Amino acid sequence: MNWSDLGTVAPIIAAVLTAAAVLIVDFAAPGRRAPAIATALAGLAVVALTIVSLSGHRETAFGGSYSLDNLTTFLDLLFVAIAALTILFAHDYLEPRRLPIAEFAAILIFAVTGGMLVAASADLLLLFVALELMVLPGYLLAGFAKHDPYSTEGAIKYFLLGSFSSAILLFGLAYVWGITGSTRVDVVAAALANVVATGSIQPGLAMGLAFMTTGVAFKMAAVPFHYWTPDAYQGSPTPVTAYLSVGPKVGAFAIALRLFVGALGPLKADWLPVVIVLAALTMTLGNLVAITQDNVKRMLAYSSIAHTGYILVGLAAYAGGQHSGITAILFYGAAYTFMNMGAFAVVTAVQRRPGVSSQISTFAGLGRRDPWLGALLALFLLSLTGIPPLAGFWAKAYVIVAAIQAGGWLTALAVLAMLNAAAAAFYYLRVVVYMYMREPAEAAAPLSPGLLFRVGLAVTGIVTVIFGLFPAIQEMASRAADVLRG
Amino acid sequence: MSGLPILSLITFTPLLGALLIAVLPSSQPNLIRRAALGTALVAWVLSLILLVAFTSKQAGFQFKEAVDWIPSFGIQYKVGVDGISLLMVLLTTTLTWISILASFGPIKDRVKEYMVSFLVLEVGMIGVFVALDLFLFYIFWEVVLVPMYLIIGIWGGANRIYATMKFVLYTLVGSLLMLVAIMATAFAFQAAHGSWAGAFDFEQLQRFAASGSFGNNFQLLAFLALFLAFAIKVPMFPFHTWLPDAHTEAPTAGSVILAGVLLKLGAYGLIRFAVPLFPYAAHTFAWPIIVLSVIAIVYGAIVSIVQPDLKRLIAYSSVSHMGFVTLGIFVFTAPALQGAILQMINHGLITGGLFLLVGMVYERTHDRSIAKMGGLAAVMPLWSTVFGFFILASAGLPGLSGFVGEFLVFVGSFTYAPAIAAASIIVMVLAATYLLWMFQRVAFGPVSDFLSGLGDRLTDMSRVEFMTLAPLAALIVVLGLFPSLVLDLLNGPVQTFLAAAGVAVGG
Repeated sequence: MNWSDLGTVAPIIAAVLTAAAVLIVDFAAPGRRAPAIATALAGLAVVALTIVSLSGHRETAFGGSYSLDNLTTFLDLLFVAIAALTILFAHDYLEPRRLPIAEFAAILIFAVTGGMLVAASADLLLLFVALELMVLPGYLLAGFAKHDPYSTEGAIKYFLLGSFSSAILLFGLAYVWGITGSTRVDVVAAALANVVATGSIQPGLAMGLAFMTTGVAFKMAAVPFHYWTPDAYQGSPTPVTAYLSVGPKVGAFAIALRLFVGALGPLKADWLPVVIVLAALTMTLGNLVAITQDNVKRMLAYSSIAHTGYILVGLAAYAGGQHSGITAILFYGAAYTFMNMGAFAVVTAVQRRPGVSSQISTFAGLGRRDPWLGALLALFLLSLTGIPPLAGFWAKAYVIVAAIQAGGWLTALAVLAMLNAAAAAFYYLRVVVYMYMREPAEAAAPLSPGLLFRVGLAVTGIVTVIFGLFPAIQEMASRAADVLRG
Repeated sequence: MSGLPILSLITFTPLLGALLIAVLPSSQPNLIRRAALGTALVAWVLSLILLVAFTSKQAGFQFKEAVDWIPSFGIQYKVGVDGISLLMVLLTTTLTWISILASFGPIKDRVKEYMVSFLVLEVGMIGVFVALDLFLFYIFWEVVLVPMYLIIGIWGGANRIYATMKFVLYTLVGSLLMLVAIMATAFAFQAAHGSWAGAFDFEQLQRFAASGSFGNNFQLLAFLALFLAFAIKVPMFPFHTWLPDAHTEAPTAGSVILAGVLLKLGAYGLIRFAVPLFPYAAHTFAWPIIVLSVIAIVYGAIVSIVQPDLKRLIAYSSVSHMGFVTLGIFVFTAPALQGAILQMINHGLITGGLFLLVGMVYERTHDRSIAKMGGLAAVMPLWSTVFGFFILASAGLPGLSGFVGEFLVFVGSFTYAPAIAAASIIVMVLAATYLLWMFQRVAFGPVSDFLSGLGDRLTDMSRVEFMTLAPLAALIVVLGLFPSLVLDLLNGPVQTFLAAAGVAVGG
């Protein structure tokens, strides 16, 4: 190791220090919320600054296992935004329930640090360790409301299936290491290119590929490996659900990019059919089950499965020969992060008083009860549906363009994606129906979200519109995607 | 040509008005109503200026504006009008201010949200008619969807939520397939040129299509996707089932705009994009489409006869009338297409008027069932007279505009296939049957018990209500006597359409 490596990994160091600082502040002023939140947000701002100051660089650290490039920068910024938004939204939910914010913020920032490490992994071992760093705090967060049996149930399911899938993924990585003799992504890719050039794939490699696909599909919650998602999402405290629906998902796609595109790119003809099937199943089943849900949190959980399916279409387009598929994945991830967190934030606001359920009937008359929250939730839901000119529309459009360009079976997949998007309109708009076209069961008090919450909501709302009107972030995503060009 | 971006002004004036109304206090509904009407009138006057400034002899699109929007995909903000889109814009701006005026009385709840929705709806509708970039067209197409969803869902009748969901889902299935087709078209262009520049530009795509560059199989698939989207919107048999529900449950003004403008979006899409870009496919599918059109004409008329509900009857008659439009498009003759476009305008004026009239009765009686009516001529004489006028116009009485459109379609389709023309001529008898029979049951005979029970509430048409109908009636007479006013504007675009569609005939 040389000392300049520390400069390259400065964002990671800053993130770990932030998490530690939050805990120290909480130790110094136990139970006080404001200092902990201020420290966390200030620390995340510093992390964001270090990321930006390193943007444009392309270098590696620690013997080539950590890669700083445009893709790292893009994903890192996304992770920091996820953490900051989650903290902004969490306060309003945690305070009335007497749950501590400092531990919450610290655990969350550790999780996000894991995500940032995943994004930068150029080595399969680091990738695995980073993945564990990302998901272990996630289990804690899912069980954060420890007196709530649903929260505990969700956390245990999440933990068991999560560990199981990590093990499967590691098993697959071991096969790849055995066959290629290295864990470095570029070396693995070169070795695999050699294997492909010289003839057929050995059974061992096929086994490894199958295990890795399964492991990553679990992490993404792709059908049929999605069973943990609805329970974990519904049981978790709502701000945690907001985080779980985007953080680990972006992380899982970061793995897919570094592992499947980076290391296993030469084998893409072999994993393409699997991804097509996964994408088709994931979109269709996620949507069909979401239609039948009466609980908004559970509905959003299944819809997040459907969105995984759309993102997988982008991965399939890449494997079908269109590099723009990667750009589409990144743009989708960014757009989805903001619109989905916004939607969950409004659910959080509705559930601010303890004991309020997230049943769809709770949302009746929301448009009259709190016109701003109602309008914003409608905006986020329309964006999730894919109505132009909002962020979600471009996300789908880029995926579709990439798939159509790839042609063949992928055109059929694009058509299926669009039919799914139409079906999804039903359950998203159903919430709008309740908000605007039905009266509340009893006279409900107006919701009065706190200042932090309003700031967070304003950011997600504005970004959802800006990404829609001027999808300029597409350029940034495109530069990030260029990193993975072979 | 002057540098004034008049098309953008027309398109976005309602948006400005909507933003202005959004910040007005909800406690002042009258101010909001007047602001909305004022905005719609400004847009209308601007569109009249456009009509005056338009040169009907000049070929191609006029008042073009083009700005790069998303350069990496060659997507532009590009607008322009020819005779067809000009007429559609005029129809839209006219019906919008009439609808807003007609909403003054009936809409008492959430006036602000209603007016904002209505003006945003106008932005989308005008945008669809002026867009010359396929992507922009798609965006405006979707912009139309959300306000109409809200208008039916919030201010509609008892079964409004079912109706609005059905409307959205039908439309969305079509429009998302259309998006795939648009993307695929642009990609075919990009693949041939090696760059995205102009890939969504309608004029460039049309030149590309005219050179026969879209492969036949590609054309069949892309045309089918576009056709499905437009056919759902028209709506053609068998995709029409959303229409009776949406029309019946929508508030009066919503029905007027649905029938008057939204149905025209589909027909416009067929004329502007589907046929000129994919002529080979259009000819291949012409026969099935003609058959579906004739089924729609006959089926709509027969089903209308037995409808017990006034709005549902008019809704099904729309299916029949719009069948003439699709028939006129796909027989590929000049008179038939002129007739189809004239029919689009007539249907907007006449059916819009009928919905307004039925809405007036509903306001007073809170009922629309024909069986409960009877003898309205005695209690509402002015209303009954005007209703009779619109009924005759809808039945195609010579001298009124409805006759000219249908007549031209007959003439045009006769040269193509006499049997088709004969079949659809019989429908004129059916149309007279269901319309006049309905009119007889509603207006004549003794005053029904239901109506006499209402007593003084059953007042005749008010002055404001008459003002909403007078311009429509005037236009129906003027266009009936002087159809050349419209037909002159259509000569150029019709020739362009036939030339584009003729590519496959020769080759």
